[in-house]
Formats: sequence, C-alpha cells, structure tokens
Amino acid sequence: VRRDAASAKPLSDGLRRAYVEALAPAAALAPIPLAFTGGASIRVIALFEAALALLWARARGGRPVRMPDLALNLAGLAYFLWLGYEVTVLRHGLLRSVTYLLLFTALAKLASLKTPGEARTALLVLFLLTLAAASSSTHVSSLLYFAGMAWLGLRALARLAVLADFEEAPPQRVFRTVPTPAISAVGLLAAGALCAPLFYGLPRLKGPYAVAPFRMDDNLSTVLAADRVDLESFGAAKRSDRVVMRLTAATEDRPRVVRLREAVFTEYRDGVWTRGPGSARARPFPAEPPERRGREPVRIDLALFAKGFLFLPYGTESVRLERSRSARALSDGVLQASPGQRDLRYEVGLARPGPARGAGESAIDPRLVPPEIAEFAAKVAGDETVPVRVYRRIEERLRKGYVYTLEPPAARGDPLVDFLLRSRAGHCEYFASSAAMMLAARGIRARLVTGSYGGELGIFTNSIVVRGENLHAWVEADLDGTGFSVLDPTPPSGVPEAATRGSLWRRLSALGRELEFFYDRRILGFESLDQQRFLDAARDGLSGVAGAASGWKGAISLPAIRNGLLAVAVAAGVIIAVSEWRRRRRPMPPATRAYLAVRRVLARRTGFVSPAIPPAEVARRLSEALPGSAEDANAVVALYASSAFGGREVAAEEELDLAERVRRLQRLA
Amino acid sequence: MTRLIPDWEVRITNFGLGYILMCLVVAIAATNTGNNGLYLVLAGLLAAMTVSGFLSRRNVRGVSCEIEPVGEVFAAQQSFLRVRLENHLRAGTAQALFFLHEGLPGPLWIDPLKPGEKREMVVEGRFPRRGVVQRPDAGLLSRFPIGLFRKYRRAALAREIVVFPNPESCAVPEAPPEEARGGRPHVSRRGTGFDLRTLREFSPGDDPRDMHWKQSARMRRWIVREREAERGRAIVLTVDNAVDDPSDPASLDRLERAIARCAGSALTLLSRGGEVGFQARGARVVPQAGQAQRARVLEALARLAAVPAQSAPPFPPLRRGDHRVMVT
Repeated sequence: VRRDAASAKPLSDGLRRAYVEALAPAAALAPIPLAFTGGASIRVIALFEAALALLWARARGGRPVRMPDLALNLAGLAYFLWLGYEVTVLRHGLLRSVTYLLLFTALAKLASLKTPGEARTALLVLFLLTLAAASSSTHVSSLLYFAGMAWLGLRALARLAVLADFEEAPPQRVFRTVPTPAISAVGLLAAGALCAPLFYGLPRLKGPYAVAPFRMDDNLSTVLAADRVDLESFGAAKRSDRVVMRLTAATEDRPRVVRLREAVFTEYRDGVWTRGPGSARARPFPAEPPERRGREPVRIDLALFAKGFLFLPYGTESVRLERSRSARALSDGVLQASPGQRDLRYEVGLARPGPARGAGESAIDPRLVPPEIAEFAAKVAGDETVPVRVYRRIEERLRKGYVYTLEPPAARGDPLVDFLLRSRAGHCEYFASSAAMMLAARGIRARLVTGSYGGELGIFTNSIVVRGENLHAWVEADLDGTGFSVLDPTPPSGVPEAATRGSLWRRLSALGRELEFFYDRRILGFESLDQQRFLDAARDGLSGVAGAASGWKGAISLPAIRNGLLAVAVAAGVIIAVSEWRRRRRPMPPATRAYLAVRRVLARRTGFVSPAIPPAEVARRLSEALPGSAEDANAVVALYASSAFGGREVAAEEELDLAERVRRLQRLA
Repeated sequence: MTRLIPDWEVRITNFGLGYILMCLVVAIAATNTGNNGLYLVLAGLLAAMTVSGFLSRRNVRGVSCEIEPVGEVFAAQQSFLRVRLENHLRAGTAQALFFLHEGLPGPLWIDPLKPGEKREMVVEGRFPRRGVVQRPDAGLLSRFPIGLFRKYRRAALAREIVVFPNPESCAVPEAPPEEARGGRPHVSRRGTGFDLRTLREFSPGDDPRDMHWKQSARMRRWIVREREAERGRAIVLTVDNAVDDPSDPASLDRLERAIARCAGSALTLLSRGGEVGFQARGARVVPQAGQAQRARVLEALARLAAVPAQSAPPFPPLRRGDHRVMVT
C-alpha cells in the first residue's frame, strides 16, 4: 500500500485551485456570527468576505493566488506590529484580537497554499474561527449557523479527503460527485440524530456559560416572582408573548386547566397588592403520585427566574414536584418555589370534577378599602344586600361603563380610585381589583387572585402553551357561604381565549417561539441539573415498567401465551407472503420478456416447446417454421443471451427495438 | 497498519489524529467553561467521527474488485490488468474510491459506482519483480467521507499472475549442429535447409522456388524439391540457483541477473526455431521448440527460487544429445 501523498510536495496550480475551491465556502460562512456577537466588527467581516471572494474568483478562473514568501513574511510582520497597536492602544478585547488574528491567518494561508499540509493548517484556522463563533453565539439563529457549517464542513472535508490522493489537478467531475447529495443528506441526518444524545449525555461540571439574554421580560419576572403585584406593571406583563409555562393534560381534564391559580392577594395600598398573613395555617398538598389512582396527572413545566408561585388548577388534590426540588406551602392553597430555581416541573393530581372553589379563608379587610371606593360601591349596590345580586350589579356596571385596555392612562393618585372614578379604562387587574374591593366594601368576603387563563395548543404536541398574554386576574368571593367561588368581572374582550390554534402566521410565529424556547431552555441553558432530572425520570420510568410488569405477572396465562405466539406466527406468515408477492412482481428484464414471447410464438406454430430447448435452437426452429423470421428471432435471442448470461444492460432504444421485433414475429405467426 | 478485518487495512490519517486532538481540546474547553455552544460543537465532532466510520466501512465493503492480467506480464515492463468493479450495495453510491496498484504511477480515481453497477477497465501498470503474484498488492483505497481513516481493501485475483523475468539481451550461445559429435540420432524432417530430402509432386502452398524444372519437364508434371530441416542441437539453458546465503542481497541480485539473461537467451533461441530447455536445481523444462515452450521456460524462470548451497539438490540429468549452457 502506498504511503500518504507526501505533505511537503509542492502543489500544482490546478491542485491549489481545487484546495481553495474546497475551503472557500466554509471559510465564507465561518466568521459570520462574530459580526453579531461583538467578536468582530461588521466592516472587518465584510473586508474578509471581499478578500475571500477575490481569492475564490481567481481560483475559479484558473489563476489561484499564490503570494510569494517575501510578501507573506512582510504581511505577517506588519500584522504583528498592528497586533501590538491593537492590544495596547485600541484595546478591542481578547475575543476581537484573536478573531482578527484568525481572519488574517486564514486569508494568508488561502492566498499562499504551497503544500497539502498548509491546506490542513488553513482548515484548522477555519475551525478555530467556527469555535469562536459557536462559543459566543447565544441567539436561536445559531442553530441555522450550526446546520450550515455542518453542511459546508462536510463538503469541504470530503473534498479535502479526496484531494489528499491526487498529485495533480483532479478532473472537474470529481468535485461534482463528491460528496453526492444523497450521502450528504444521510450523513448529516445521522450525525444530527447522534449529536443529540451526545450533547445531552456529555458530562457538565459547571453551570451554563451563557444563557439567553432575555429569557423573560423584567416586568413579567417581577409579576411572577414577587410577593406583591402592582397594577401598572401587570399590563406590561400581559403584553409579553414570552412562554410562561407549558402544561400537558388529558383531554377530559382540559376544561379544568383553563384557569390556573397562582397567588392570592388581600392587602391593597396605593396601587400595590400584597399577600396578607393568611387566616389559616399553611397546609401542603400531598405528593402522592396521581398515576397510582389510575388518572393521568397534569404536567406543568414552569419557567421562573427567581422564587415564584406555582400555577395550580382549581381542584388540585396533590402536587408532586420533580426530584430534588422543593416548594413552600403558603396559606390559601398557594405554593411558592424555593429560591434559586430557574424553572420547575411538577405534576398535579386533580380531584373529582365539581364547582371551582378557592382554597383558604383569607379575605380583604373591609376597613382597608379606600373610602372613595367604598362610597362608589355603595352607590353601585344601592339597596341590594344579597351577595350574588350585589356582584351582578358590580359586574354589570364594570362591563357597561368601563373600557378594557392594556395601556391605561397614567393615574393621578390611587390607580384603582382613578380607574373607578376617572379614567374608566384598564386591564383585567383593574377590573378584578375594583370588584374585589367593592365586594369587600359591601361586607362580602372577597380577594384578588392572579394566575393564567387559557393558552395555545402546541404545534407539535397536545400540550398547552401559556404565554405572558394569558396572565389574568380575577376575584374569589364567598357569595353563598359555600366557599370562595370564582368571579371574573373583566369584560369578555379582556379575557384571554381559552384555547387557540391561531392563523398560519401565528402558528409560524409560535413555531419560532417554540424553537426559541427550546434553544434557550434545552440547549443554551442546559446543565447538570437537567441531566439529573433526566436520570430521575428514566429511573421513575423504569420503576414504573417494573411495577407494571409485576402487575401483569398474574395476568399472563397459557392461552395468552399461545394466542401471542399464534399472532406472531400469523404476522410472520403475512410478512413472508407479502415479500414473496413483491419478489414475484419484480419486473422481468425486457430481453427475457421478449425471448419468452418468441418461445410462445414458436409454440403456437409447432406445438409444445420443451423447456430444455436452448435459446439458439429456439431461434433456429422458429426460422424454419416461420420463413422470414430468422433475423428477428436471432436478434432477440442474441440480446437475451447477452443480457441474461452476460449481465449486459438493455438500453431504452434496444427495448423498443425488441418490442417491434416481437410484434413482427407475432404478425408473421 | 492495523489489520482489523481480513483483506482490509485501516489506518488513521494524520488529519484523523489532528481531528481527535481537536476533539480533546474542545472537550477540555467545554468542560472548563460550561459553554453549551462548545458542547454542541464537541457532540457534532464525535457524531461525525462515528458516522464517518460507518459510512466509510460501508462504502468500501460494498464494492468488490477483481483483477486479472491481460496477456503476458514481464517484470519492469508495461503490462495490462483488467479490473472488474461491482457495487453490491442496494442503496448507496460507492464514491471517493481510488484503485491502487504498485505498478501504477499513483492512485487511480474511480468515478462513483451506482448501486448494483458493474464496471470494467484496463489499466496499465508495471510489476517491479518477477515471480508469482497470488495476493496482489492492489486494491481499493478510500478516505471517504471526511478523511479520518484511510481504508484499503485488497483486490481479489481471478487467477494468479505469473510475472516473467525481464529478458536481458546477451550473447546467444551457438548451438552445435545435430550431426556434430555428441549429437543424438534423429529422424529427418522437412524443412528449409540446404540438403535435399526427396522429390515429390507439387502441392498447393509449396514455394515455387523449389520447383525442379528438369524433372517436371521429364515427367510432364510439376515436381518440387523437398528439403531437410536444418537442426541444431537442443540447448538446455542452466541457471545455478544455489546461493551461499539466501538472505544476502548481492547473491540474490546476481541470481536475478542470471535469470534475466537466461530469459533473454531463451527468447532469442526460440524465436530462431531452436529447441530450448531449462534447468536449475530442482527445476527442469525438457527442450522443445515453439510458442508453448516459450511460456514453459518463462514460467519456470518466474517461479525459480534461490536455494541454500548446503542443501541444494543437484541439476537434473541431461538427455543424450542435449547441450547444456550455463548462464551466469
């Protein structure tokens, strides 16, 4: 076996051209993200691309650039001086200085390829540029970059691999056929499929180096994380379309997870709601896995930055957090995640369907209701004292005389008083706060509840995606002494849709968001804790399988085994029959088909034709039996012999000719 | 060279070593920084390496290569080989293949073979040494798909290749006439010598110059002279293949030169119609004339191996009348 082509052997012009053509596309793409991540200025990247285009154009024109050694050394020396100036005076930072050095080196190498070894050096420099771009990119569009580099990288490497065995310029057709599109697609798909488990399986010893720059709007995170909520920031949170959580529920449970309860507020002061101390001792939910009772749990994947409240549907019976995570039980059935968690997954078991009732006993203290609101409530309620009717009046008033808007005018004084008496425009929290305060003012136990309403059905799954726009506020009030029932005074135009599929554009937009969510959560922010979660889930799954198997142990009986084996045998029989049928249906080669037709013609003229009669004898007998058929018969037999025994392919024209000859023979017969 | 599979040679290339090194570097960087971008690159590199190994193996394994010589093959002379390639893969074009043979000036590019495609080509090559080739130093080479490994699959031989020695022109030994002392009695044969053998009637194909005009006039029929063949004595070219030290390159070189001279002499003598035989220690070709004898002598020379002088067998005995000529 010959040794590798000597790396030190000088490249001919043709081979240099081939190397430049192989490397240039990948080189063009490699530094692009650096222009967006601050790794290089756009002007420098544009300069690099222009120089690369020149090198490429010269190579394609058959005159690849080859800088003389002297010029190369001078350029290197000049860049060395520039580097000193850049580091000491311009102070671009380490990433930029390194990037510029790599860009310069890549260009210098591509402009002065002398040996195959130098082409490999250029490849190494391009790889380092790719590393710099990959490690500094945090945007979801990096996925496109990775895909593009994978494709161009495969092309470049495949071509370099072929060029390594050429000592002269390869024929043009070499680059056209290496790699073939099919193998590129198969290779990339296979590598992509393998890449996923490797990425998630590689050990993480540190937390993620970079996370998404804007995982959630500040307002949104404040709304979700703080133990207070103010009227003015809630509107900003509702304008966000960031994904707050994703939940999966059985189809029959979907109507019950439309409204998710997050926090309960009972104290209001100057536009800010805070949680009260609570009237009863906090009672945590049991963590018993709901599956044990044969019901599918509601699974929620909640995105949180700091400590936050858990979103729970009405009728929650048990809450089971993922392993190693914890939540603090507060009063009124509110759970708060322990600090330092960025996201949380948990399962919720639902009780039997029934009227929605808010847990806990705390309510707004009527003495804390601002006097303007109390006075207004009295005016609205009039002489009505029945709680349900009082609420109807309040609701009617709010719906008829007030406008729903996410951008209420700036308030003068107390925002709630301003809303009720002056602006008469606000979002759901204004409506809910007003109703709660007015009910409290009329002596009805009421409180403000925040949470979410509705969501978007997932693009790929049946999950429901809850975004910032689905955040909502409503009232819980004890109207008939049976507990806190849910009251929603917000006009219908302000209540988020229960479940939407959306238009095509919305779906596309949602797809982009899903990708962004996936990239932020599953790629950029992936960490050892996620691996731990996966292991826990796998362990739980295995223990579930083991449990199921032990449950089935008693159910397996001899007839079941017999029936199972019978089913397997029938399936195997069907598979064999289908494959045999397909094999028989395989088209016969045209020459064989024509020869068999000739045999049939002979049989028609002379009677039985034994299978032992060889082709040449068939032709001879036919020419004797059918004057004028010799030429056609011989031609058919000759082509049949060369096709069946010589492996010769029959061309399309020959096939037509065969058919014509067979037709002539049949007419003669 | 690591031999993982029979008839396969798999070797990691310099580029492959560099690739593994870069994987290590990226792994260290990713672990130290926790940068998931680097983890993604690392996963891509490892996945590409795995897929590359699979595709590469399938690419080379799916193609069979068989070679056979076209005509006679002489050492150090241009000769022709027929190469038959077939892609046995049902799906998957075999690509980035090179045919490699020690007789070729370099690797020969093979255009991609579609699934099931058969291709035949004749290549010109040069075998450097005489001998019998049973395992050809020829086969398919590929760095497909990204050049991490260099895989070589040896070609199969349709039949063994006998590489004849490169004939060296030298002074041809004079063959003493058959009638000379020591010659053996022989039956006279028709030929083109000077001695008259008989007179007979003309038959188509006879040379008109042999017409015996006087006798024809006498008998009023065409009569021709039939001449006797001129025969030299059969020459047995002999090469002493016993060497003191079979591992000594100088001795072996001397033997090779003697074999080359012997081949040259044999070809010259046979081309003149003489009877030529060959002898060495442990080898013998009975003297005869003609094309078939040419092949016999050359094949014997191609297969001749050096034997240690201590255990060398004697030369086979000569037939009566054969004339031995030692070639050195």
